[in-house]
Amino acid sequence: MEEYKIEEKSAPNRDKVEVLGKTYDKGKPEGEEMGRWRQKLGSRAEKLKYLSTAERYWYGKDWFGSEKRKNPA
Amino acid sequence: MAEEKEKEVVKSIDDATIDMIKKAGEDGVRTVFDRADTTKPCPIGSEGSCCNICAMGPCRVPLPKGKEETPEEKRKRTGVCGATAETIAARNFLRKVAGGAAAHSDHGRRVAEAFLIAAKGESPEFQIKDEQKLLQLALDLGVEIGERSNNEIAVDIGEMLLAEFGRQEGELLTLKKAPLKRQEIWRETGIAPRGVDREVVEAMHRTHMGVDQDYKNLLLQGARAAIADGWGGSMIATELQDVLFGTPSPVLSQINLGVLKEDEVNLIIHGHEPQLAEILAVMTQDKELIEYAKSKGAKGINLAGMCCTANEILMRHGVPIAGNFLQQETAIVTGAVEAIVVDVQCIMQGLVDVANCFHTKVITTDSRAKIEGATHIEFDERKATETAKTIIKTAIDNFSNRGKNIRIPKQKSDLIAGFSHETINYLLGGLFRASYRPLNDNIINGRIRGVAGVVGCNNARVAHDDIHVRLVKELIKNDVLVLQTGCAAMACAKAGLMLPESAKEFAGEGLASVCEAVGIPPVLHLGSCVDNARILIAATAMVKDGGLGDDISDLPAAGAAPEWMSEKAISIGQYFVSSGVFTVFGVTWPTLGSKEVTEFLFKDMEELYGGMWAFEPDPIKMAKLMIDHIDKKRKALGIDKARERVLYDMAMRREME
Ligand code: SF4
Ligand code: SF4
Repeated sequence: MEEYKIEEKSAPNRDKVEVLGKTYDKGKPEGEEMGRWRQKLGSRAEKLKYLSTAERYWYGKDWFGSEKRKNPA
Repeated sequence: MAEEKEKEVVKSIDDATIDMIKKAGEDGVRTVFDRADTTKPCPIGSEGSCCNICAMGPCRVPLPKGKEETPEEKRKRTGVCGATAETIAARNFLRKVAGGAAAHSDHGRRVAEAFLIAAKGESPEFQIKDEQKLLQLALDLGVEIGERSNNEIAVDIGEMLLAEFGRQEGELLTLKKAPLKRQEIWRETGIAPRGVDREVVEAMHRTHMGVDQDYKNLLLQGARAAIADGWGGSMIATELQDVLFGTPSPVLSQINLGVLKEDEVNLIIHGHEPQLAEILAVMTQDKELIEYAKSKGAKGINLAGMCCTANEILMRHGVPIAGNFLQQETAIVTGAVEAIVVDVQCIMQGLVDVANCFHTKVITTDSRAKIEGATHIEFDERKATETAKTIIKTAIDNFSNRGKNIRIPKQKSDLIAGFSHETINYLLGGLFRASYRPLNDNIINGRIRGVAGVVGCNNARVAHDDIHVRLVKELIKNDVLVLQTGCAAMACAKAGLMLPESAKEFAGEGLASVCEAVGIPPVLHLGSCVDNARILIAATAMVKDGGLGDDISDLPAAGAAPEWMSEKAISIGQYFVSSGVFTVFGVTWPTLGSKEVTEFLFKDMEELYGGMWAFEPDPIKMAKLMIDHIDKKRKALGIDKARERVLYDMAMRREME
């Protein structure tokens, strides 16, 4: 995941403000690359973080979902 | 003439296949469709009422037709050894499970071996492609990650998982992926399996003459062996394949015989394991080989898949699919296939006979699956490129032998595949909040009524693809989201159901609105037969996300294999049922010779496992059974009366005031 890009914008009757820039990838992927999303995760740390959040069902430390048990069966 | 046409329609609903059946007739070629006409199924064997496991038999103990049997008649209806119809039907059923579990798991074992070769750096062609999935497996298995290299981690994972096949004690490590309640149910009923090798050997032992003669006890071993397949052998295959070759993400491709090309060397890869197919997908792009093909008068090399090997390379590379199980011979009938390369499973011996009528070479590649009359080129992972080159060159060299009698059907359909559990999770929530929540919410609010897994084969005893397509259309019309694998997925892809725009045309309003919002088709392709493990994981994620109970058996979900034919399908069905899923099979049911055995599978299993079997050949009635079950589960969850929440805008509020 890339760092967020901040852009400066001017608003009427206001000083310049900083807003969140584009968060989407440039261009339109084609062919085999089209549906690829896993490549967006770069480093091992990012991948592990993604696992603990996105796949929290199995790897989240403090998330129990429907199975509100602290002790594994 | 009209009659002839009708007969062909009964054989398949796919125009490309119908055309090739006709061509085969014109060319005097005998295919599976003709053989099914002349070789009728034995009515006693098909009901599981024949025992041939010892030389005092075979003993046939069919249920009397058209009348109730007296207790005295029933008492006498036994084999020479005294085995009852119950024991015989249950033994036959368990042997089918064992055969299916063995097939999936031996596939998984081969993948684990290839994985270890790659992890140890012994094959330049195979590398760890998906670090994310590797880390996931490391977390599952408690393998140290730290600063270790991917290969070091992979060696540990490969060795641990390879050892799981032969686990003698305790229970499979991968069972931990299941919902906690499900794991408890398995433990309490004594069916949490050890390694699949042990469970299959025990199944074969217990079904030997004079061993286990209590049908319930036999059927429970069926559950245990099947779980060792679904949550073990198959799951290991899927997970390791993902690490080696990449976890599937959405990919656009095409399907049906129309993907074959008149002016190129057509090479079909057929079977189940992805290792050779992966390298063929790479090597058919090789400039040198393409030049070589051109030097022989072809414009290029066209690789197409068939059966589950096709699904593997479709999911990961978008390689087009020539067809499903019943199309393997009709592909050759086009006269335009230079080579059909096979690995293991679902390969008809009839291929060689059909190929002999044309120039096509049948190439076997695995020492476990040779066919008399075929050319054998053994695939070795350590020399993957070399083997692939030899195979491709053999096909190219055969191009000049093509006859004049060529007819490639025009039919081909676009499809989107690649819906792994990981991708579904991502698509539903995005990179920053990947989640099954939107799916669960839409089930709870009733836009989606439930989820169905429709999987399995084709069967020459019913019209090719017909039951699949009618069942799935009926399900999506009733707002049931359909997850598919295997040849079932291919049938629906050919019918155009795997494109996002099909939601508007075929799905109910609620399901269509969700598909449109997420940008997915109403029928999702999850991969090959071993990838049914992905359906188990998706179901588990739904449970764990919350709001739909705390076990798979609580979900408004059902499964079906409407055109099943292989033992693998029985193993799949049995592990779905033992995981809490109501599962309906079509075509025929292999225990009808014993009311008690059938009753146990269709009713008693629900009490034990929350899931049970059913048999219904008619697709509309089958859909009804599945929807009734889904509604029953909705009711139990208290979401049967869920209405869409109305979001009031300002105008509506003012009106209320
Ligand atoms: S085991 Fe019994 S029922 Fe089976 S073939 Fe032998 S004698 Fe017949
Ligand atoms: S779905 Fe059935 S016929 Fe098709 S490849 Fe799998 S096992 Fe074979």
